[in-house]
Amino acid sequence: MTATTTPDYPSIDAADLPYLPVADPSFSVQSAAVREARDAGWCARTPYGLAILRYEQVNKLLKDRRLRQGSWAWPQHNGVEGPFAHWWAGWLLNKEGQDHARLRRLLNPAFSPKLLAALSPRFVALANELIDGFAPAGQCDFVSDFAEPYAARVIAIMLGIPEQEWPKIAEDSATLGLALGVTFKQELPRIEAALESLFAYAEQLIADRQAHPKDDFVTRLVQAQRDDDRMTHQELLDSLALLIFGGFDTTRNQLGLAIKTFLDHPDQWKLLAEHPELGGTAVEEVMRVNPAVTWVTREALDDFEFQGLAIKAGTTVHLFSESAGTDPRTVENPQFDITATGRPPHFGFGGGAHHCLGHFVARSDMSVALPILARRMPDLRLGGEADWMPLSGNTGANSLPLAFSAGH
Amino acid sequence: MKVRVDMTMCEDHGQCAIAAPDVFRMNDESKLEYDPNPDDSLLAEVEEAADVCPAQAIFIED
Repeated sequence: MTATTTPDYPSIDAADLPYLPVADPSFSVQSAAVREARDAGWCARTPYGLAILRYEQVNKLLKDRRLRQGSWAWPQHNGVEGPFAHWWAGWLLNKEGQDHARLRRLLNPAFSPKLLAALSPRFVALANELIDGFAPAGQCDFVSDFAEPYAARVIAIMLGIPEQEWPKIAEDSATLGLALGVTFKQELPRIEAALESLFAYAEQLIADRQAHPKDDFVTRLVQAQRDDDRMTHQELLDSLALLIFGGFDTTRNQLGLAIKTFLDHPDQWKLLAEHPELGGTAVEEVMRVNPAVTWVTREALDDFEFQGLAIKAGTTVHLFSESAGTDPRTVENPQFDITATGRPPHFGFGGGAHHCLGHFVARSDMSVALPILARRMPDLRLGGEADWMPLSGNTGANSLPLAFSAGH
Repeated sequence: MKVRVDMTMCEDHGQCAIAAPDVFRMNDESKLEYDPNPDDSLLAEVEEAADVCPAQAIFIED
């Protein structure tokens, strides 16, 4: 393959690119520095490789097979070996090519949108039950009173386990989440214990559905078969633990970010309360302007040239989902608007071969919850000081006190 | 069988090419190419491709 610069793309000297300190806790993907860099060009430098800022280039690189998923070597980078590193290596997300395609083929059908319609009434009942707990008071901490139990109990519903066991899902997932942070290595004993606990849980579920098949999600995974190929027992365990871990944090965080977005747009909150059918577009708009996953990472497999920029093998590429989703070059009138039509797709679920496996579930449970919240929490406002994670990487609220008109 | 992909809805994630590689493929520009008249023996995998498509852009018209 020859790497030539076409006349359309003048050669870019990496040294001339703006620099974004993405690892600094005070760095924000919505900062003026990111907007200026996006106006100046499509790419910036970071302490760990490149940041891609415009819609067109994020869209192309997300699906470009010259790049692989970017965090596959995270345990090795942190000097971590053993059961956690082994689990990580087995993740669907960290596989590529034929290995990835095989496992994805076996997992995808369990997440069929057809099978989700039946769960929607349960999501409605769950949202109402949780709101019943705090609506009379006219105040709540949105994270602990709604987002956390909702996200964890949706997973319990999917797995067919008693919903009152949700704190275990939440606690083990939160502990595993420490693996993504700076204290990964120090916390390893706790992280390994949480993983063992999830595995024991998954083990029970698998044994139960093998003995007593039901018309449910776990049975579909256990029975998944394609051209005489099935998942091994270890693959089933790894996948179930990943689905619990991957489904909890992201949904909890995205719900908090939805509330943040609507606090800034009270007219849209009112509109959503009056028009619950806008729940679906509300989710898409929230994920476009305030995605919980603020960047998706990829790693270059080989040296290659992209639109005039030489990218070396091993370079980490941060694809900025919010910056792309609000890029005025592609998105007309990019301000938040749940009535907008014809928007290009956002990147809140990543994209390409690694597109989020659970997106139909997330879309379904959030599009049900948001209109109910809007109807039952009118005149929504901040009820105290919220505690937010840095607006970078995977973000969201740790606590989000809210006040609203009571008794709805 | 006849297969139609609504290209205004297609987002080029390539999940169909994973589900039904005999009918759908992603080209060197990571854009979808597909056989609009696949053999009926491939119905199960085409149905699976339509089902898993994140954009729900695949339609089977017999």
